[in-house]
Amino acid sequence: MPYAAPLKEFRFLLETVAPIGELAALTHFAEATPDTVQAILEETAKFASEVLDPLNWPGDREGARRHDDGSVSTPSGFKAAYETFRAIGGMGLPMPPEFGGLGMPRSVATLTDEMLHASCMSFGLMPMLTQGAIEALLIAGSDELKRTYVEKMVSGEWAGTMNLTEPQAGSDLALVKTRAERAPDGTYRLFGTKIYITYGEHDWTENIIHLVLARTPDAPEGVKGISLFVVPKFLVNADGSVGARNDVRCVSLEHKLGIHGSPTAVMQYGDHGGAVGYLVGEENRGLEYMFIMMNLARFGVGLQGIGIAERAYQRAAAFARERLQSRDVADPKGPTVPIIRHPDVRRMLLRMRAQTEAARALAMATAHAFDLAEAHPDAAIRKANQAFVDLMIPVVKGWSTEMAQDVTYQGIQVHGGMGYVEETGAAQYYRDARITTIYEGTTAIQANDLIGRKMAREGGVTAKALIETMRAFVAGLESASHAHLVAARRRLAQGIDALERGVDWNLAHWKTELRACYAGSVPMVKLFGIVCGAWALARVAKASAERLDAGDADRAFHEAKLATLRFYVDTMIPEAIAAAEVITDGAEGTLALDEAAF
Amino acid sequence: MRCLVIAEHDNQSLKAATLNVVSAAAAIGGEIHVLVAGENAAGAAQAAASVAGVAKVLHADGPAHAHRLPENAAAQVVANAAGYTHILAPATAYGKALAPRVAALLDVAQVSDILKVVDADTFVRPIYAGNAYATVKSSDGVKVITVRGTAFAAAATTGGSATIETVAAVADTGTTRFVSAEIVKSERPELTAARIVVTGGRGLGSGENYQKIIIPLADKLGAAIGASRAAVDAGYVPNDYQVGQTGKIVAPDLYVAVGVSGAIQHLAGMKDSKVIVAINKDPDAPIFSVADYGLVADLFEAVPELTAKL
Amino acid sequence: MKVLVPVKRVVDYNVKVRVKSDNTGVDIANVKMSMNPFCEIAVEEAVRLKEKGIATEIVAVSAGVAQCQETLRNAMAIGADRGILIETDAELQPLAVAKLLKAVVEREQPRLVILGKQAIDDDANQTGQMLAALLGWGQATFASKVEIDGGVARVTCEVDGGLETVLVNLPAIVTTDLRLNEPRYATLPNIMKAKKKPLETVKPVDLGVDVTPRLTVLRVEEPPKRQGGIKVPDVATLIEKLRNEAKVI
Repeated sequence: MPYAAPLKEFRFLLETVAPIGELAALTHFAEATPDTVQAILEETAKFASEVLDPLNWPGDREGARRHDDGSVSTPSGFKAAYETFRAIGGMGLPMPPEFGGLGMPRSVATLTDEMLHASCMSFGLMPMLTQGAIEALLIAGSDELKRTYVEKMVSGEWAGTMNLTEPQAGSDLALVKTRAERAPDGTYRLFGTKIYITYGEHDWTENIIHLVLARTPDAPEGVKGISLFVVPKFLVNADGSVGARNDVRCVSLEHKLGIHGSPTAVMQYGDHGGAVGYLVGEENRGLEYMFIMMNLARFGVGLQGIGIAERAYQRAAAFARERLQSRDVADPKGPTVPIIRHPDVRRMLLRMRAQTEAARALAMATAHAFDLAEAHPDAAIRKANQAFVDLMIPVVKGWSTEMAQDVTYQGIQVHGGMGYVEETGAAQYYRDARITTIYEGTTAIQANDLIGRKMAREGGVTAKALIETMRAFVAGLESASHAHLVAARRRLAQGIDALERGVDWNLAHWKTELRACYAGSVPMVKLFGIVCGAWALARVAKASAERLDAGDADRAFHEAKLATLRFYVDTMIPEAIAAAEVITDGAEGTLALDEAAF
Repeated sequence: MRCLVIAEHDNQSLKAATLNVVSAAAAIGGEIHVLVAGENAAGAAQAAASVAGVAKVLHADGPAHAHRLPENAAAQVVANAAGYTHILAPATAYGKALAPRVAALLDVAQVSDILKVVDADTFVRPIYAGNAYATVKSSDGVKVITVRGTAFAAAATTGGSATIETVAAVADTGTTRFVSAEIVKSERPELTAARIVVTGGRGLGSGENYQKIIIPLADKLGAAIGASRAAVDAGYVPNDYQVGQTGKIVAPDLYVAVGVSGAIQHLAGMKDSKVIVAINKDPDAPIFSVADYGLVADLFEAVPELTAKL
Repeated sequence: MKVLVPVKRVVDYNVKVRVKSDNTGVDIANVKMSMNPFCEIAVEEAVRLKEKGIATEIVAVSAGVAQCQETLRNAMAIGADRGILIETDAELQPLAVAKLLKAVVEREQPRLVILGKQAIDDDANQTGQMLAALLGWGQATFASKVEIDGGVARVTCEVDGGLETVLVNLPAIVTTDLRLNEPRYATLPNIMKAKKKPLETVKPVDLGVDVTPRLTVLRVEEPPKRQGGIKVPDVATLIEKLRNEAKVI
């Protein structure tokens, strides 16, 4: 069952929660007219379905391989697919035109990224990491660094990687040990080991540009002593051509639970005299730059969760329509029916679909805010949107990836035994999805970011403002006549109240019971996710109700939106209410057991 | 009513598709004439004359028709079209190149690939790759039609005694020149493109048995060969033979499953085949639930017998 | 040399169409529409001719509703230089399309017209041949290879059981088969550039063409469902059924 990008839904999101027409009116995004955007989405969808999707399962079985000489090959067909991707110009889609990009808004890139991850997450990682490296250079790189590297990375001619983790430095980057020694010519020599380097080595591009966190010899301890360096696989000559091999090698690849097609490398720097590195920005400000870039990277991992959830849903729904087992419970003497007839299979499929759509709608609302924060002429609007983005990043990352665990789990369950064997593909989604709650910051790291940096630090101003915005939306449903919207109103109000209880408790106890606040941090991500997802989904459904009233011909599409919202609020809001209770009442139990007793 | 059937032939004999077209013409009714346009095509004209139901053969012989170029053939048809209510050609590469040209020259619509004659003006034809059948009625005075051969039985090659009338061959239009023809040797067709597919399953017991049982049947049928996942995993044949969810998806006209139990992932790869035959000794094998024709038998006896009798 | 490429907007080939319950047609409301795949091959071939320096200008033309503009934009994103939309809401059958195209050919004077061999909606496989007849041009149908040499096109055509090569004097009509080429993906920058290429709209009446349909669709229905399978007692019966009932051997 091939992947079919939900283009109709994409288009509708671009008319509702992320109105592309509004962006095209801004000079910055003047090229992003609805018809151009539609053509871009359709072409990317074609590439995803025709090229990437067929590679996903064979790529999982074949996996990436490292050879004795340190070179790495990816599964058959991946490199050719990348050639096509590059020829299409996919890498430069959201990148600035002055470096050869297309300057498309984040809301468009959000959808194209989802399609890449949905059809083949192992493949989608490479552009994701390269784009992350480009962002870092754009944020902090000198003009010379930008001139040397960015254009070739935007064109996809060269790849990029992010080298943060070391064996002793995972979530805590303060422990980074890789050394960067100053050389007389102003460059640096790097020495150390980096692990979990996604696409750290491969044969797709002529050069690979590693962005590496390291410490200079006299750097202060901890996070304030980390600098960011560019370390190209091949040094770049003055004329821009590729020169000598740098002292950086892939020494092994990890054996992983999922994303087998994506090479996860252990990179060794400086075994032969030092890897030549170039400082990005200023010394000791590396983590600061990283965190700016991290917003996008985390958002991108959230999109992986949404993409793989969509794919798992499509496969499960197709299976449930075809698999004949048992009779309709209400017609025990009737014929054997497709399992989609069974109420619990419907429940599972709706749970998959509703969570995926809610997470996508929320991601798109966030992407739209990204775009307004970047391009709106009014500084106050830019600021408000940036605050919303900052608040939502840990939610989109944390919640979309956690819901992907549930969705891919249900995907196997719908298949029954056929899902547990690898052949249907359902199992691969479950395995591939598993990494998304871990890399670019585990869910707990997102949760810490949410309650600390994004809430407590500003006294919850943005969170409270969001709650008011959502309340105003619910108030606007007063006049709704569609039965599902009427029912959703009450549930949404309950959900928002629960969110407020959780937020208020957390803010009130921040100064006095910090460990208790952190004990409820991951439930806070879930609470935000479910409630904000409901709000985003309801905004879409409200637009659907309006379209139906206006006589829109595609009734089936809009009625599905309303029914999906109804299922979501009736079955997920209770989980949000429970999460709020865990925040307000769960800390004592969480912290009670003595450490020694574990 | 009078039908003109455009014969497809090789100068000596008629191509089989012509016989199906004669039957379609018979279903329309009225007198049936056959146009044989060729060079030194007396043999083909004679063959047409003896087809049951044919009243007259128009034989146009000349160098313009040496390679049956549609430009010249269409001109010939139009030159002889007077008095005919229906002009029919086979829906082959030849007929499809020719018939629209004739229709345009006569300023009438063309009805492609008919499956059924409802009445003299009304025909059933497939649209959307056969996912729907349309019943269409023509308002034109002359109906130009191409006929799907498999939808009509072949007319008998004997029993007719039509007169053969020689008509003047048209001159070469000169727009097009034949260079060469290269008829492909009948190598084994590719799995996903084949009209007939024979697959073997674990019931075969070994790779040697696969060679011994499946290959001769496939050769006889001009079929592509495939295998179930179980047979691939058991090492009987390489992985690229696999038909199924994770292998190739096929939808041939005829699918013959030999010793295949019919696991759901196999069915996913072949259930859109037009006709499915299953040969398996287990009467409860799931493959029988999708098979049009099931034969409960020991494959080691039944398949060689089938191969021999085909 | 100017090349004209007619392109048709059809239901996307991945969409499994459903017959309407009132049997008046298939339900194509709200389904994804795309360029007919054979037309895509035609556009690709024209672009390759341009890349070889043989074609100098590629004009894409489409006939139908206003949304056919999207199909023309797609053709221009692949590499056509400009587009002509013959806009009409009327049902268009192949003969009418051929007449419309003839009028465009007379205006544009291309040396070569490349069309898809058939559209995947009505599966008629007629327009190219009809256009050739109306123009009095030679035709090379179901092409799997096209070479232009001066005033002649050397075309390898797919015929039953093999290939046939013909030389067609230009101007000529070529219709494409699947193996002719593998169409490229439109690049995203070219999609953006396509928006700025000229697209002209004309009406059938401007071209002096009567597009009244000659065929009436009385009914559209699902193909007969597979009958419940039967068990046959022996090999002889199996062969008999396959020959005479299923007619597959």
